[in-house]
Amino acid sequence: MSQAPETSFHHEVELSHRTGPLSLDVRFELTKPWTVLFAPSGAGKSTILRMIAGLAAPNTGRVALRYGEQKVVLTDTSRRIMIPPHLRAVRLVAQRPALFPNRSVILNLQYGMPTPERNRQSLDKHFALLDSVVELCRISPLLYKMPSQLSGGESQRVAIARAIAAGFGRLLMLDEPFTGMDGVLRDELIAGLKEWQAKQGAPILMVTHDIGEVFATGAEVMRMENGRIVAVGPAEIVLAAERERLLGLLGRTADPLQG
Amino acid sequence: MDTEALWLTLRLAGTTTVVLLAVALPLAWWIASGSGVARALVQAVVALPLVLPPTVIGFYLLVGLGPLTPVGRAVTRMLGHSLAFSFAGLLLGSILYSLPFAVQPLVAGFQSIGREYVEAASMLGASPLRSFFDVVLPMSRPALVTAAVLSFTHTVGEFGVVLMLGGNIPGRTRTLSVAIFDQVQDAQYADASRTALVLVAFSVVALLAIYTRRGWRGVESGS
Repeated sequence: MSQAPETSFHHEVELSHRTGPLSLDVRFELTKPWTVLFAPSGAGKSTILRMIAGLAAPNTGRVALRYGEQKVVLTDTSRRIMIPPHLRAVRLVAQRPALFPNRSVILNLQYGMPTPERNRQSLDKHFALLDSVVELCRISPLLYKMPSQLSGGESQRVAIARAIAAGFGRLLMLDEPFTGMDGVLRDELIAGLKEWQAKQGAPILMVTHDIGEVFATGAEVMRMENGRIVAVGPAEIVLAAERERLLGLLGRTADPLQG
Repeated sequence: MDTEALWLTLRLAGTTTVVLLAVALPLAWWIASGSGVARALVQAVVALPLVLPPTVIGFYLLVGLGPLTPVGRAVTRMLGHSLAFSFAGLLLGSILYSLPFAVQPLVAGFQSIGREYVEAASMLGASPLRSFFDVVLPMSRPALVTAAVLSFTHTVGEFGVVLMLGGNIPGRTRTLSVAIFDQVQDAQYADASRTALVLVAFSVVALLAIYTRRGWRGVESGS
């Protein structure tokens, strides 16, 4: 495991985009170790992550990451800057795991890791890192299976492990990462990810529509509505409003039954 | 049995297949990785040999590579001989003639691979070139086999282009399909039927190679 010092970061994201029914206009900063972007399905959360990753281009926008002493502008439409995805040093675990079907799980995990040199020390380090990622995601029985032999939840865990093994880079993005996982496993994974985050220094940006997941992470929440971020803060405060809104909806639908 | 023609045919088809794959791989990847007017145009040009009579392709190549055009003169000066009526000329003709048979299976194969795999690779730091070799090519193995086999057999079976462009020079440009034409014209039906049998056997083996592979551990269908 690399002994990265605690690094400061300050990421700025500004995106404005319109295609069909989707209208996005967001501006936020990432300063906390773990931030959750919370919105209903189909609100364009995944699109935001893809734009930060460079897999999609916004109509207008700017993505600037400061990580340690380094400040890099990844996207800036006004200056026609659009760094290609593979040079951004950001990780995205997409909703669909997209494990390489022609590689076993262990080869999938090693794909993003630097090739170790052919000496004892380098190899030990390589496999120690691999071991700890496998331990974290509870996938040791899967290492020599092919992706087609895995269940949905298993594939998801391997996809997360693959991203972590490659190193967080400047930012780790998780798109609905815990779908199809039971609560115990999810909480273990969250605890493990927090430890890794503290060591790596780079922040995590997670996207979800599941309130349970938000509370499980105990992270800073950005609530999005109609393509805009409407509230930022701790889950207890930001989602109290959300919960009230949901309860209000429930109350209204219950009325006709009572009346 | 004209063994000289058989050997020439195999050499031509083999060389054509190798060159064709080298040309078709980047071309098919480019066509498959987007849309637009330029791509539609290129795809139409690539598909042209499917609908044009082979004699038309042969005719244009014969004229284009002959002493009447600047291109033909330049090539002739470079090679020291005209491309027409030579093995190199046949090779060029075969490559153009079989181009759709290599490009189209590859385009279909590439398009069937979800974008998410290439994107996942890029998120792990892989350049487009690296993900092409690591992810796209292994996942398109069935398409690759189909493209290679079709290019080879289609070249073995070509007639019109060869006759127009290469003529009928034994050992240089006389392939099996031309030999059979000769044999029939000389009323040597026994020879012709042996040659025909060889060509039929080729086709059956090639098609078997494609269709038995289809059932293999296809990447999409799992194990």
